Amino acid sequence: MNLSFFDQFASPQLLGIPLILLSMLFPALLLPSPTNRWVTNRLSTLQSWFLQLITKQLMIPLNKMGHKWALILSSLMTFLLLINLLGLLPYTFTPTTQLSMNMALAFPLWLATLLTGLRNQPSISLGHLLPEGTPTILIPALILIETTSLLIRPLALGVRLTANLTAGHLLIQLISTATMALLPIMPTISILTAFILLLLTILELAVAMIQAYVFVLLLSLYLQENI
Amino acid sequence: MPQLNPNPWFIIMLMSWLTFSFLMQPKLLSFLPTNLPTSKTKTILNPTPWSWPWT
Repeated sequence: MNLSFFDQFASPQLLGIPLILLSMLFPALLLPSPTNRWVTNRLSTLQSWFLQLITKQLMIPLNKMGHKWALILSSLMTFLLLINLLGLLPYTFTPTTQLSMNMALAFPLWLATLLTGLRNQPSISLGHLLPEGTPTILIPALILIETTSLLIRPLALGVRLTANLTAGHLLIQLISTATMALLPIMPTISILTAFILLLLTILELAVAMIQAYVFVLLLSLYLQENI
Repeated sequence: MPQLNPNPWFIIMLMSWLTFSFLMQPKLLSFLPTNLPTSKTKTILNPTPWSWPWT
């Protein structure tokens, strides 16, 4: 059968066994477990430094109640970052290109922030639906707009991650196909395309890290409003 | 677009949450920080009064 360019995103299965589980389990293998040594090896030190950095960055804008979310947000950040970066290696599958996974992560977490706000401080949470200083005549329209923007947040969160990673992987495949196709015909143009591929891969590295960060940052922002 | 095929959606959703909550979170929970955050102790200042010599 002829493969189309989108077939790289089909969830891989072997005799009915979903192999996506392998690509989701692998990031945990790359994280060293802490030992009780005072001075650890470079990888452990690097992991400690990185975890402290992201936890500090995420927790600074939150009040004390929000610090309960430290584990879930920093582990989500690490999970998404490692999955995105591993997907850039050849012959790997990126689970975060699957809309199912991103919606599964985005929707419950957003709903958790919303329900936390509505339960603990309902007036303040509902008050976010009307920005300060709006002219009286615009109030109904603005409440509708703000409600829509509130309800579309989980969809935006999930689709943003999916679309960014899918587009990146698709571009990499397209340009590498162009490079290989041009190699026997116009080698100079092929080298130029290979250079574009190099630049694109660097961009995709950045996008992988940034998109993971943006996902968690937005969740922490939604939490800030509601906690 | 194969991502919109609803067939593996449930299993992907389930497995992503299971790996996230039972593998990543305990692994990162067992991480030992070397310097724990400490809150600064409030120092109560008792300045001695002084008078400005305007001469």
